[in-house]
Amino acid sequence: MFKTIRTSLYILSIALFVFACGEESNPITETKNFTSIFDSNQFSDGFLPIDMQQTTDGGYVVLAESKQDSTQLTGVYLLKADKYGNFVKFIKADTLFNPVGRLSKIANKYYFFCMRNTDGKLASFDENLDNFTSVDVAYTNPAASAPLENGLLLLSVNTDSKQTIIAQIGLDGGTIRDKGFSFGDGDDSEKPLSEHFLKQGKQYPFDVGMLTPGIYYFNGFYNYTFSLIFTNMTSDDPIGITAGQNDDGGFSALVPLSASKYAAARFNFGENYFLPNTTIVATNQETPSTQLGGLTIPELISETKVKILRTTVNQKNVLVYAADTETRQIGLYFYDEATGAFIGSKYLGFSNPFTIGNLINTEDGGIAVVGTTYLAGRFPRLCIFKLSKEEVASNVK
Amino acid sequence: MKNLYLLLLCFLLAANGALAQSSKKKKSPAAYNKQNKENEKFLEKQWWLGIRGGVTLTKVDPTTTFSILAPTNYEASESGKKYDNFSLVGSHVTMEATFYFKQFTFSLQPTFQHSRFAYSNTYSWTDGAEGSNNNVELNYKQEQKVDHLIIPLVVKYEFMATTRLRPYLQVGIFQAFRIGATKEVTVSGIDQASGGQNQFEDEPITVGAKDLFAKKYWGVLGGAGVYYNLGNNVRLNFDVQYKLGMSNIVSAENRYSNDRLSGVGDAMDDLEMSNINISLGCLFPLRFLESGFKSLNRK
Repeated sequence: MFKTIRTSLYILSIALFVFACGEESNPITETKNFTSIFDSNQFSDGFLPIDMQQTTDGGYVVLAESKQDSTQLTGVYLLKADKYGNFVKFIKADTLFNPVGRLSKIANKYYFFCMRNTDGKLASFDENLDNFTSVDVAYTNPAASAPLENGLLLLSVNTDSKQTIIAQIGLDGGTIRDKGFSFGDGDDSEKPLSEHFLKQGKQYPFDVGMLTPGIYYFNGFYNYTFSLIFTNMTSDDPIGITAGQNDDGGFSALVPLSASKYAAARFNFGENYFLPNTTIVATNQETPSTQLGGLTIPELISETKVKILRTTVNQKNVLVYAADTETRQIGLYFYDEATGAFIGSKYLGFSNPFTIGNLINTEDGGIAVVGTTYLAGRFPRLCIFKLSKEEVASNVK
Repeated sequence: MKNLYLLLLCFLLAANGALAQSSKKKKSPAAYNKQNKENEKFLEKQWWLGIRGGVTLTKVDPTTTFSILAPTNYEASESGKKYDNFSLVGSHVTMEATFYFKQFTFSLQPTFQHSRFAYSNTYSWTDGAEGSNNNVELNYKQEQKVDHLIIPLVVKYEFMATTRLRPYLQVGIFQAFRIGATKEVTVSGIDQASGGQNQFEDEPITVGAKDLFAKKYWGVLGGAGVYYNLGNNVRLNFDVQYKLGMSNIVSAENRYSNDRLSGVGDAMDDLEMSNINISLGCLFPLRFLESGFKSLNRK
């Protein structure tokens, strides 16, 4: 009897050793992949992301616009999520309006431009959304910005002087240098600009950046036309112009790959074109952007917002285009940077509509996408998709 | 599979060891005649093969909670998942290979188990304005159906070994391998923000969810049952087992991999699953002393 019991215990012990294995969750895995939707239970709240940065603690800070009750101007909304996508904190700065990207990280602070009344503001905060401050800048209607080594580039529009202005701004908000270019006089150029800044009409994909030291570009209105302009910020005239079609065509996104190679996307009378490997040479000759051609993507909504990210997948340089599809998903389109060949796609979101805000590389080799989803089909809320390196690679041929 | 082979090997070695031990003993009660002694000795050990099936009730315990919706201005507990345990009826079918030795039974019971469990959560949005009735409430009901191949190793002890009705207690350990899974999400709600009260229920979304579950998990089991010897080399069996899962049944790696589920705000918690299996079956002896010998009712 006792021997049989002992034998039974032996068998069960051996079986325990053999059987006792399963899959347990791993904190690292939970940071590699997640989806988060940041909800508010208030009807009137609505948030549209502009840009996102990963913080040194692995978390994320999101710069977003928030809907206002009494005006179509948008408020400033900042959100911090931890590395697992959990909500940590938000700041709603209702006295500041119309924030614009990029959200630039310089040293240990984050910077962006916005407005208070008619004044331009440079706002900053740290990675925990503490020490939020804003200082005046000498420009109105900020449209886009980009980080420099010790300062920022700002593209703004002055409706009094009828100029699109590119300026180099110090971190204290002071102007280092600037150059203005006429966008033209009259309703043809003023009306779309006015509608853009009052959030009453089409939103234009303004952009600004540095090509090489001393050579800058911006995507904005010049001479009645939404154009890609190259400037050295000393000459009164642009050193290169790639013109759109008045306010009906132009570039929707642009990432310089080398001195004359670009990953770009453009729109023209409602159509979208991807140009994953195109050549743009800045010359005195004005070149129409329509000459560049491009890949038409019929599944995208008309004149969609497009964001382009340079990343590395399986040791290959890859371009990721993110845009909004007719199925109300966020489409990610992968192209080989060297050849411009299409190498894969992925769609984010289902059921409720999803729209793109921006996408970034993450320190673990994956990518993070910030967007808007409409909960219950109607409440615009921020969402973050974190895709692991492996998941991204699985979508690339 | 290697684990399975190893397990079988251990089982057979242990069983042989037990037999070898028993063979060294010389028991010959004087009251028995030679035939009875032979039968008695023969009936001390027996192999049985059988099948049984029945219902499966499921309970899940969240060990770590996950949610796609991260509340920014209300408590997460307001929209937390509420699990509906032991309410949905699943099923199972078990093949049983059993070695009986002196009231102890060593049993390998490969089981196909179809488990069902559900959870729900509610989200609501309100118009903060005073006196306003504007609000929207959405209820998400998520039902999971998951199939596992379960390999349990069970030791039973039979009471009243000389009667036709033989109750037993059992303990064991099991390893479960995921076979398949589906998930059904039903969204319903009340919309009072469109000028009146509108109750609605959307068409359920059904998706294949195999990858959302861990490839395997393990657990321990205990239970009780009863054999009824019919007398013609057939043994009926009523069995109740409680399987207590000891590891996560959800794949952490694939928690967010299904865009359709992420889109409706669903991410599964880490879960340990327990089941109550209630079954009926029959067993047949594999060893016969002679033609016409009745293995069951000699005692």
